[in-house]
Amino acid sequence: MDVNQVEAMLREEGLHRAAGNTMTFLRKHAPFNKMSAEALQRFGEKAHIAFYPAGSLIVGPDSGNVRFFYLIESGKVQARQAGEVTVTEYSILSLGAGESFPIGAVTAGRPSTNIYTAVEDTFCYHLPAEDFLLLMSSSPEFNLFCTQYIASLLDQSRRQLQAQFAQKASEQQTLNSPLVGIGTREPISVLPETPLRSVLETMSLKGIGSMVVADPEKKPVGIFTRSDLLDRVVLAGLELTSPISSAMSSSPFMLSEHATAYDAMLAMATHGIRHVLVTDHAGCLTGVVSERDLFALQRVGLRQIRQAIEAAPDVEALQHSAADVRQLSFNMLAQGIGAEQLTQFISALNDALTRRVIQLNLEKHDFSGIDWAWLAFGSEGRDEQTFSTDQDNGIVFVVPEGESQDALKQRFLAFALDTNKDLDKVGFPLCKGNIMASNPEWCMTLDEWRSQFSKWIRTPEPTALLNATIFFDFRPLFGKSELADAMRRHLLAQAAATPIFLQAMARNALDVSPPLGKIRDFLTDLEPDHPGKIDLKKYGSRIFVDVARIYALAVGVHGTNTGQRLRMSAQKMNIKGDEINAILDGLNFIQLLRLQHQYLEGEPGRQGDNLIDPEKLNELDRRILKESFRQARKIQSRLKLDYQVNH
Amino acid sequence: MFGIKKFLFGEGPNENLPADVKAAVVAWQGLELAGLESSHHLTRYVIVDIATTGANAETDQVTAIAATVMHQGVASPAQSIYIDLSAATDDIAVDRQLAAFLQFIGKSPLVSYHVVFVSAFLEQLLKKRLGINFQPRWVDLTWLLPAMFSEVHHKPMPLDDWLLAFGLDLGDGRRSPCENNLLLARLLQMLVVRAHAKGVYTVDELIEESKASSHLRRTH
Repeated sequence: MDVNQVEAMLREEGLHRAAGNTMTFLRKHAPFNKMSAEALQRFGEKAHIAFYPAGSLIVGPDSGNVRFFYLIESGKVQARQAGEVTVTEYSILSLGAGESFPIGAVTAGRPSTNIYTAVEDTFCYHLPAEDFLLLMSSSPEFNLFCTQYIASLLDQSRRQLQAQFAQKASEQQTLNSPLVGIGTREPISVLPETPLRSVLETMSLKGIGSMVVADPEKKPVGIFTRSDLLDRVVLAGLELTSPISSAMSSSPFMLSEHATAYDAMLAMATHGIRHVLVTDHAGCLTGVVSERDLFALQRVGLRQIRQAIEAAPDVEALQHSAADVRQLSFNMLAQGIGAEQLTQFISALNDALTRRVIQLNLEKHDFSGIDWAWLAFGSEGRDEQTFSTDQDNGIVFVVPEGESQDALKQRFLAFALDTNKDLDKVGFPLCKGNIMASNPEWCMTLDEWRSQFSKWIRTPEPTALLNATIFFDFRPLFGKSELADAMRRHLLAQAAATPIFLQAMARNALDVSPPLGKIRDFLTDLEPDHPGKIDLKKYGSRIFVDVARIYALAVGVHGTNTGQRLRMSAQKMNIKGDEINAILDGLNFIQLLRLQHQYLEGEPGRQGDNLIDPEKLNELDRRILKESFRQARKIQSRLKLDYQVNH
Repeated sequence: MFGIKKFLFGEGPNENLPADVKAAVVAWQGLELAGLESSHHLTRYVIVDIATTGANAETDQVTAIAATVMHQGVASPAQSIYIDLSAATDDIAVDRQLAAFLQFIGKSPLVSYHVVFVSAFLEQLLKKRLGINFQPRWVDLTWLLPAMFSEVHHKPMPLDDWLLAFGLDLGDGRRSPCENNLLLARLLQMLVVRAHAKGVYTVDELIEESKASSHLRRTH
């Protein structure tokens, strides 16, 4: 060994001993005292020690993305909220030895929302962000600590939101705010016959990027934006004397003043638009909400994500976008956004991801001249995707005259296999039940699908009923949606004409009851393998989903989303307006608990389970959960009555 | 055999050292003094402590040397070194470890508590083993702490009293030189912040301050 090698060895020894010093501190404080020696060693080796004199800033929103996890060794640190949006109950919090910050920001790799200042002379350990994340993924105890911490913030944030609604005095805008308070109020509009030049002059003078075109009664008929200028005026060679109506996008997307910012955001994500017009009860223009206005509320790059998806050159790029979608969803969850909006939102972006994967694969597989569509089933088909959802998909196609059905099917299967694999790479795991387009069973012609549906409906044996719960919730994601419409018409006609089938479905749906106890609040011993837990999917959301499906089939509702189905079937179910809202609230609360549980307690990148321990919920959540289960019981008894099921 | 010049002026290194050790010592001797005028934040301070068999540098042995870097406000375990000499039997191995120590500290200013004690032992050891005259720039916390934190105590006092006064954890029982260094690093972190506030901006000024304090507090 030469001097350099000896130095390396001595450094190794120095590192080991110095880390030991940090470990001594860590062992005195939770959660570190519960962590393995290996995890503590890693922390000890990677953490620096820094000194912050009283009064100095440690980290704040202007410090950029948080680079360290800070653990206070001695001294006192004050956390103050920056900015106008109050997310948590406290506005000033004092932290002491053994406490750490800013866990949410370092986990998310974003700037801190709080300002952390040393109020006494303070020593802090700095654990670099990458080592923090490694530690989180390698130490279950540390992971639990961090996620529970974030969960407690969520809890505070949700209660904060509830408090805000109760007061109805808050000026703060959140994504729950009605559109009446967001964006441009009383926007300028022009009549359809206004010459282009005059419109452009006004836009330039006022420095605005878009112009609403409305009729004399102020009812919007179109919108003209700067991007239209290039495509529809300059490149199209349109004269500036032409009326604005010849250059505008007609039938603009409109929402009522009472719709919320979420609705606007969802519409933008779903339709790929950047402006939503706001109208009053009479349909007259009262405002314009742009994506930028929503950013101001949300501070997330919705458009960037969507654009990145649409422009992704390959699957690798889509993997990044998928991670962004997940992060965005998490941010929205963290902001206390409702489950219905959130799952629809995730679905909208996941749809965009799936479509892009399909498009990329179509570059290698050509189906021009052939009518076909990519179908989504199950939760994807219902627009109710949670963070991690298996693939459930299929293909419907029509064989052109003179072509061999077999050869065409083989081509579709090859394409589907590539697509399924790529979807898996992007984060939609392959379906364990093989409900995928690459399975010859679920890649069929329109006629084959129709007869498959008929068969299930006519012979409702257990497998058929199970398949009905998956395949009857279908939605076209790509290709010719008319094929899916044809399937739906056939399904609805057959189902309505076969009461025995709906009755069998009803009997099946009533096999499971909500876990409400006669003495105790909840039954937690229904799953022998998971004592003390409740499966929120099996005994919760699935009850709503199953009941909604039966009524939708009975009434002929085309939509697949459970909320939508329940609203549309309310009359048939003999349920009044207010009552249906209570039912939907119950479903949404259960979904929200599932989402929180999956994201916060599941391992990153793996499908989280739906098992929750009601004892661990706070009093308020327990009460809401109990009420939600009562709503499930209520619609079940309705179903029982309507289909005369005697269990 | 020693040249007469080397013998008188201690410019070493010893002739009988292995080539790599000799090369490392010569390279260290040729290093420029680093960071005389730079700010505390940019200065690479090396905190040094030793363990010995007794208090007499002439007769007692150094059993361990520990060093930790404080740079840009932070002290990190990854920038630490520890030499255990207690079990050393092989002279060449010891020489090589000492050369590695020189390589680690470079010409950075060294920081310790009771520099008189620490430096005497290191001088003796490095002279004997490597044949060099070890005269680094020392920052002595013994004298600087009462100068910078006179409101806490205006005279030198035992290290543990300072640690207690600042609310730092003394640890259980006897501390190893490594553990001691990490506490000294914390004192140094506090000290440079205070020094800066008092207009003592550079290493040189800090050393001057240390000397002045020593003079003032010894003679008055």
